[in-house]
Amino acid sequence: MNWKKYLIFWFKTSGLSFQAVISTRGASAIFIAGKLIRFFFFIWFLIILEDRIEKVAGYTLSQLILFFLVFNVFDLFGQLFFRGIYWFREDVVSGNFDFNLIKPINPLVQILTVHTDFLDLPLFFIVIAVLGKYIVALPLINLFAFAVVSISGIILVTAFHIFVAALGVITTEVDHTIMIYRDLTTMARFPIDIYTDAIRAILTFVIPIALVFTFPAKALLALLSLKWILFSIIFSLVIFWLSLKLWHYALTQYSSASS
Amino acid sequence: MRLKKYIAIAKISWMDSFVYRLNFIMWRVRSVLQLLAVYFLWVAIFKRGGTAFGYDQPMILTYILGTSILRSFVLGSRSVDAASEIAKGDLNNYLVKPVNYFANWLSRDLADKALNLIFVIGELIVLFYLLKPTVFIQNQPMQVLAFTIAGILAMLIYFFLSFLVSSVTFWYVEYSGWPLRFLSMVIIEFFSGGLFPLDILPPAAYNVVRLLPPAYFLFYPMQIYLGRLNAQQTAGTLAIMVVWVLILAELSQFVWRKGLKVYGAYGR
Repeated sequence: MNWKKYLIFWFKTSGLSFQAVISTRGASAIFIAGKLIRFFFFIWFLIILEDRIEKVAGYTLSQLILFFLVFNVFDLFGQLFFRGIYWFREDVVSGNFDFNLIKPINPLVQILTVHTDFLDLPLFFIVIAVLGKYIVALPLINLFAFAVVSISGIILVTAFHIFVAALGVITTEVDHTIMIYRDLTTMARFPIDIYTDAIRAILTFVIPIALVFTFPAKALLALLSLKWILFSIIFSLVIFWLSLKLWHYALTQYSSASS
Repeated sequence: MRLKKYIAIAKISWMDSFVYRLNFIMWRVRSVLQLLAVYFLWVAIFKRGGTAFGYDQPMILTYILGTSILRSFVLGSRSVDAASEIAKGDLNNYLVKPVNYFANWLSRDLADKALNLIFVIGELIVLFYLLKPTVFIQNQPMQVLAFTIAGILAMLIYFFLSFLVSSVTFWYVEYSGWPLRFLSMVIIEFFSGGLFPLDILPPAAYNVVRLLPPAYFLFYPMQIYLGRLNAQQTAGTLAIMVVWVLILAELSQFVWRKGLKVYGAYGR
């Protein structure tokens, strides 16, 4: 794979996205304000719930906020870098996906990364900065475990988006599929330990959003055993492989309708 | 106003929902997931029983399940697309027809709400069977009647408020009015009481939030259903809701008329 070509593609498309953001400054400001308001409202909600959550799952307010910050890191990562998926349906329905297929760049890379969402960047920086203050005092081993589990988290986020793209080609339905993923992830704004065993099992083994959003936070707090770290790595690689398989199958189903 | 043509519009809108069946099913899946996410959160919070924030588990679960019914009726709306029609110049198609644009969207909204309501009731029956939650059943006919009236008024408040947001597109066409819609959605999501009952907020915040229109979308109707308001408070709440309907109806018509004067039919 020619990395230089892909980097040029990403910088070029990101540059165009950034130009779009600054050419509509008023709209961009409102979007950013909305995202920040949503973030701080939820922190406020956590503060209100603090006492009850502590009684249920034994987490303190600062730990709850840590979980929420880590949730945001991976949630924003997906939105920041893979925002292109939100526009993919139009290309499939109109047949414009043909143009992606004939270019000498992997169509999957084009679809996912064609639109870098700079509107998520301010919140992303805030989250990283606050998280940085939190974790700077933690032991190195915790940070190492966090880094390892984070890599598998990023692999899983990528896999989820590939699944959505593949389903988009097969069913021409992307909009709701990506939002279903987003809806499911909202359950991980809290540590999954607060949920019942059945829900925990589903969020870990069936739709493994816990591996993306809860495991890294647990690794930071030294609450994740080596067994679960290994499981996280292996499982994320398996899911990623499956997503690529489905994507390749989806390509065989693309009908190029309307083009 | 000829009712017949609006019934025809509602019928077409109803049929339109079944054209893209997978799209509709996915939308319903989303609604169920949104409900389950909030439901399991509150189940977890009340795992050890007892009361919190003045609610016990049956009360809070009734509140959450009840808001899901209300949400489909009050917040489920197609009229959000009005902004896009203004931005793209598609409004022209309506201006030359003998239809009232408000009534047109209200008809389409009602068809959509009826469909959502039917499905959400079906979904709740399945969820009740699977989850077996202990819920509070209101057996006072007057409370149920007041709840129904509050639901209808909430629907009207949201309709006119939503129209007001869409009308801003006359002056601000960027992204088809989506930025302001997004901001309003964030605020409504938090202050309508869909995630939590608003009276768990600190008193100072609650006293402000409870006066705003979003509080009347889900929170107040559910307070009426749960019997947490006495007869006088219920009557007062319904009266405030009527006032909000009148204010927002008048305001949205006013802004609409002003908007039409600056409408440039861009894109046409």
